[in-house]
Amino acid sequence: MKTKPIKKGNKFLCKGAFIFLLCFFMSSMVSAGQILNLGFNDSKILDVFVKIERATKLKFIYNNEDIDKSKRINLAVQQRDMVDLLWEITAQSNLNFKVVDGIIAVSAQHLAEEITGKVTDSKGLPLPGATLKIKGANTATTTDANGNFKLKAEAGAVLMVSFTGYVTQEVLLGAEHSLVIVLKENSNTLQELTITALGIKKVRKSLTYAAAELKGDELTNVRDANLVNTVAGKVSGVVINKGAGGSGGTSKVVIRGNSSFSGNQPLYVIDGVPLYNATTTQANSVFGGGRDGGDAVSLLNPDDYDGMTILKGAAATALYGSQGANGVILLSSKKAKAGQKSISLSSSINVETASSLPQFQTNYGAVKDAEKSWGAAATLENHVPGFFKTGIIQSSSAGFSSGSEVALTSFNYANTNGRGIIEGNKINKHNFSLKETIKLFKDKFQVFAGGTYNTQRINNKPVNGFYFNPILGTYLMPRGNDFQYYKDNFEVFDVSRNLMVQNWPKNAITDKEQNPYWIINRNQTKDNNTFFEGNLGFNFKVTEWFTLASRYSYSDLTSIYEKKMYAGTAPTLARANGGYVLQNLKSIQNYVDVIASFNKQLGKDLNLTANLGASQLGITANNGTTFNAGNGLQYANWFTIGNFIDNAGNTQSTGVKKMLQSVFASATLGYKNFLYLDLTGRNDWSSTLANTDKNWFFYPSVGLTTIVSEMFKLPEFISYGKIRGSFAQVGKDIPAFVTSPTSTVVGGIIQNPNVGPRPGAVLKPEIKSEFEIGTEWRFVNDRLGIEASYYNSVSKNQYVEVPAPSTNPFGYVNYGFNAGSIQNKGLEIDLNAKAVKTEKFEWNLGLVFAKNISLVKEIPADLGGRINLTGSGPNSYRFALIQGRPFGIIEGYNIKRDNVGNIILNKDANSSIQKTGWEELGTPNPNFTLGFNNKIKYAQFYASFLIDGRFGGKVMSMTESMNDSYGVSKASGDARLAGGVNIKAIYSDGTPYTGLYPAESYYTQTGDRTGTSGEYIYDATNISLREFSLGYNFNLKSIPFIKSASASLVGRNLFFIHKKAPFDPNIALSTGDGFQGIDVMGLPTTRSFGINLNITF
Amino acid sequence: MKNILLKTAFFGASFLMLAACKKTLDPKNENPYGASSELLSQDFNNIKSLFSPMFNNVISTATSYQTQQGLQGDVWAGYMGTPTDFRGGSNNTTYDLVDGWNNTCWNLAYTGVMANALKIEQRAKGKYDQFYALSLIIKVEAMHRIADSFGPVVYSKYGTTAAIIPYDSQEEAYNAMFADLDNAITILTNKINAKEASTFVGTDITAYAGNYTKWVMFANSLRLRLAMRIVKVNPALAKTQAEKSVAHPVGVLVANADVCKVISPNVTNPLSTISGSWDDIRMSADMESILVGYADPRVAGYFLKSSAYPDYKGIRTGIQINAKSDRVSFSKIGAVIENKETVWMTTAEVYFLRAEGALRGWNMNGTAKGLYEAGIASSFEQRGVSGAATYAADNVKLPKAYVDPVSAVNNAAALNNVTIAWDAAASNEVNLQKIITQKWIAAFPDGQEAWSEYRRTGYPKIFPVIKNTSGGKIDSATGIRRINFVESERSGNPGGVATALTKLSGPDNGGTRLWWDVAGPNF
Repeated sequence: MKTKPIKKGNKFLCKGAFIFLLCFFMSSMVSAGQILNLGFNDSKILDVFVKIERATKLKFIYNNEDIDKSKRINLAVQQRDMVDLLWEITAQSNLNFKVVDGIIAVSAQHLAEEITGKVTDSKGLPLPGATLKIKGANTATTTDANGNFKLKAEAGAVLMVSFTGYVTQEVLLGAEHSLVIVLKENSNTLQELTITALGIKKVRKSLTYAAAELKGDELTNVRDANLVNTVAGKVSGVVINKGAGGSGGTSKVVIRGNSSFSGNQPLYVIDGVPLYNATTTQANSVFGGGRDGGDAVSLLNPDDYDGMTILKGAAATALYGSQGANGVILLSSKKAKAGQKSISLSSSINVETASSLPQFQTNYGAVKDAEKSWGAAATLENHVPGFFKTGIIQSSSAGFSSGSEVALTSFNYANTNGRGIIEGNKINKHNFSLKETIKLFKDKFQVFAGGTYNTQRINNKPVNGFYFNPILGTYLMPRGNDFQYYKDNFEVFDVSRNLMVQNWPKNAITDKEQNPYWIINRNQTKDNNTFFEGNLGFNFKVTEWFTLASRYSYSDLTSIYEKKMYAGTAPTLARANGGYVLQNLKSIQNYVDVIASFNKQLGKDLNLTANLGASQLGITANNGTTFNAGNGLQYANWFTIGNFIDNAGNTQSTGVKKMLQSVFASATLGYKNFLYLDLTGRNDWSSTLANTDKNWFFYPSVGLTTIVSEMFKLPEFISYGKIRGSFAQVGKDIPAFVTSPTSTVVGGIIQNPNVGPRPGAVLKPEIKSEFEIGTEWRFVNDRLGIEASYYNSVSKNQYVEVPAPSTNPFGYVNYGFNAGSIQNKGLEIDLNAKAVKTEKFEWNLGLVFAKNISLVKEIPADLGGRINLTGSGPNSYRFALIQGRPFGIIEGYNIKRDNVGNIILNKDANSSIQKTGWEELGTPNPNFTLGFNNKIKYAQFYASFLIDGRFGGKVMSMTESMNDSYGVSKASGDARLAGGVNIKAIYSDGTPYTGLYPAESYYTQTGDRTGTSGEYIYDATNISLREFSLGYNFNLKSIPFIKSASASLVGRNLFFIHKKAPFDPNIALSTGDGFQGIDVMGLPTTRSFGINLNITF
Repeated sequence: MKNILLKTAFFGASFLMLAACKKTLDPKNENPYGASSELLSQDFNNIKSLFSPMFNNVISTATSYQTQQGLQGDVWAGYMGTPTDFRGGSNNTTYDLVDGWNNTCWNLAYTGVMANALKIEQRAKGKYDQFYALSLIIKVEAMHRIADSFGPVVYSKYGTTAAIIPYDSQEEAYNAMFADLDNAITILTNKINAKEASTFVGTDITAYAGNYTKWVMFANSLRLRLAMRIVKVNPALAKTQAEKSVAHPVGVLVANADVCKVISPNVTNPLSTISGSWDDIRMSADMESILVGYADPRVAGYFLKSSAYPDYKGIRTGIQINAKSDRVSFSKIGAVIENKETVWMTTAEVYFLRAEGALRGWNMNGTAKGLYEAGIASSFEQRGVSGAATYAADNVKLPKAYVDPVSAVNNAAALNNVTIAWDAAASNEVNLQKIITQKWIAAFPDGQEAWSEYRRTGYPKIFPVIKNTSGGKIDSATGIRRINFVESERSGNPGGVATALTKLSGPDNGGTRLWWDVAGPNF
């Protein structure tokens, strides 16, 4: 066999290697019909080639043996058409020329001859069904069952051999008529492509940073209404906390630790277009003032996506500049495949039950008409478990995709509906998506367009905190009352008003506590969120090595919220005639970009991939109106804005209005496929920087990767080895409007600007500098793999908004300025093993480990070295950033103790317990996280399970402290049964306290929202069986129109293997930054089981 | 073919880029619903619109009133009591000062009043001086209340953009306020003398409706109030300022039509909500003791009868509260707050100020007894009740003992042993107690002013707290003397607070007496 590698015209290429200006590429494009002014005077044939290459930028490729190098050419200098020129050379040289795709293929004059051969893999095993194609011709064939092929071709033609899972190979046909073509497998990831920033596909091995990938089935196998929840435990360094809003609520995603004083959620990007994931509101108060208003990500349909790439570090996200500081989650949508037509249907049904409920006492009732249950002994039932229903969520989706050589079409529809574990909580979601790609001019020009429309309605979305929370009344109801009676009679007729009013034990209706069924039926809420995204773009492959692409996307998130509060609602929450809130918010994003991509071999060993582009992003977010009958309604229970008593609660606002314009460039220089240098740069101009020193910032990155296993000959058992390092800077834009404070008007009264720059401060974006090193190894034919990364990032110029001294001359409530820094360093290790791999039985194991150490390095001294992310208000919980401490510290009060641990009591009538001032109680950040993923396949069966563990960190339960002070908790009952609380205590004068401490006195002092919250701090360590599935793939070869079918049993959050806190510490009451590590009457976590059915035609 | 493709591609790309570049960056970066200065300059709204937040924030017309004054002066002056066990029963009422509440008055005064007054000064001073003068009067009305709560305040140096915003001592602030009032009175008096038509008519939401004469009367009366406040610490200056006010050609408030009150078009007095639907405030034990003891006919307007006990029932402040429900049935606040009015100063108060001045031998254009009885008559007239003369002549009735029907530990004998009738034979101290007690009744529900006068004079005597959770910072017998500096200042302007601490006579807590708060007898 005598094929030779294709020789490239390297002289020419070296010239312009690093100049990637557009004009250069313009001039480099010529057509075969070009007029040339050339001549040759007894020139050697190879010199002739060089001259033509220089003049045309075309390149000759040839097989050395075909060319008689002594041959000389004589042609007079004159203008000739290129075709004529080549014909004249043919006449003098016996060589044939063929111009294809910017190359001139040279061959000796042969006639088409029959060529036979065999295609094998690297082990010599035949590859049946491999495709063989003559480049530039219509000749094509496939190999037979033994890998053999036969076709007619001229010598000098280029044969392309391709087979799924293998690297496509080009073979220049020479004199040899019988070939053995060995294809290299793709599976060792050497050629595997990964989608990176801006949707640019890169060879995975060349990456200089960590990029985790999840396949589409990871998102749909054991589904969750919010697709991002399915990432939990699967990717190192990504911590997901499910929000408190139940199904369809938002989640908090933190990649490599919190790096900002405000706003730590990553950027989501769908098919290269940033998604403006506007969040309307999030709770930041124990009272539960803020609700989970939803976001765009929670509306997406997991079935629409092929997979996800998570870019963790700054080097990976550097091309997103001022949007890249918190990591980026890239989603790529499913695309139809050419030549395939399929219909897929899937359906799943999941049942959810409440788990990890608090424990309640059943031995003591309440004194008549008392709010709290500190009365006489009684025998009671625990009514709480009966309050929670079995939730059911059903989702079905239908997809159609069809692909021809010219057009690819796919359409998906999904519907999710169900009910939650609290009565009245319903969800209904519809997702539509349509995608069309048209390929023109032999795939050179692709035009694509697509759109998704997602709409979700949630009735009575669960809330946390004290207000409007049915859980509170359920837990705290004065014991001895009949819960069922109050369920059946949540309202009673008030003769004096001629309307129905709330019914609940006397004196127990407070601002916090109401009849749960009154809240469910008479304080109803509706959340209606709709997300539309439409896009249009093209992709033009100008030459083999130059592609020009452009995209435009419009997206629109509308959120309508409505809450009706009937007369009879607790008067602090709604006035005598009831209340009404109607909020209508809209977020719009326009995005356009143009990217030129180059991929060029520079000589034998050097390869250059480069991108040059520009983008513009315009965002208007949370723009809308809020109507809030703060002072009540004129006529009872008439819920319309015309019935408001006054206009004082009605506002119009815009969260963000900004534009970001950017230019960016990236280049990856590869040397001999084992050394890669990666450089990127992005410059962002932002409208939010108006009135500052400069409105632009530059974000660079540099990275280097070595494929050790290609560079050196390593022992046989090492199949792959890579070492990488990178440094990058990314940023975070400052919020809109801060640099241009304006007054607003509410209810006819002018309000001074809420925030403005601190005098003397010039605002600038946050800047995060991150250094990362990593290594990746695979052993024994990829059976065992390990990837490890270490990173160290410092985020400076934190944008801080702190209460301005009220004495400031502008009337600002808050000052905004840049100050302080946060450091995060950590280690991520991903291990995977193909433990068993036989034809019938496969067992793959994955283990992800991540440890992040955060440190608030600096908070300016004039802020006292601290920033309270959640103020205490009147409660004994606050959440603060403190210099020299990890990100986010829970603070509260402790019982005052002497140095041997005795509780110190006041020498007063009640022997009251002494309390400390504010003390640090812990940080909710885990020490490290572990995920253990198993996938097993046996014949037609498959199974998987995921164990997710978080180790370390602290959480507080205000639920427990409330239950204690109200005398409903099991602890409060047990203490009464025991005759009191057994405490070791002394009086402040040193005399010891003897006997048991009265339970009521103890728990009313230590419990409640203002008690000694240090008693309600728990270790957050927990290990749970996060996902489980067991399925069967039906073998339906006998039914020709069914391509595949499977059924599976799935489970999510099945049980805790280990947990110390009395609630699920993986639920965050707020997906904002504050209000972390605390449970205040939150929805209990749910365990879900279900069945999935999939069928593809 | 290739050329066509190329052209298409580049045309497409350039088109998209052009479309993109056509939109340049917004150079303003402004909230689209905010007001630009051009917009506000129409109708002189850049000046006039700033008065609305000032009127609405001196005494808040919104429910922020509750933490601005409702749980401070109103309870510490013995006007009202709360049935609610806020913060587990440890809060302002038990002398555990809640920073999260007490910052309200400070913040509203600065962001609602001072910031707007500064803008008015910048935009109107020298050009539209009447607006500047009016803003000064409102500013003093707002800020003396703040100074009377905290002591040192940012007043004369307000407006600096330096890193440290320095505080005035309370004395410096008072002197600056006297100067501001003098300035305002001069400007407006000149306008009155020149018979200039008022340009404040549509903007003024007080009962004065833009009348400059009434505003000068109010400014004079305010100067009289401040003068009396400093009588123990600087009697000479007090006399000068007081006599200047009374002698001024326009004079002080004399008729009921002169009562200074904001009539906010949109909102009912927030006490209506706080007492009504929130059930957070009730009659105090002191009010019950004095009004019921005196059989004062004004009580029917001030309070509602208890829904569970006979007649009126008040709550003592600073007691152990086990459950809110225990005392929710006590007397709610009455018809006096069921309107859109927020009173800044009553005419009766001015008569009582003059009565005290006369008692001190100042020239107050009347005798102490005459002015005292005029004050009672004025208050009766204002409240729409008759029998002032009989009431003022009563030398028998005394305040009664207090009984808490829920918990007898809160019971107390009456503290004030003075009758109503003026007693020329009695000591100045006794007659002052009568004057201040009547002023205290007349000024209801403005607890802030009543608390200040209580601290200055010690009258009327108020039931001391029984439950004191101040941690030793505030003595139960002496009672609370001030509010500590607010959190946003301690963290946002620590350098300024440091200047304030040197101007305070003790530690920054509620037990430290203010500059004008001098211990000892009044004479």
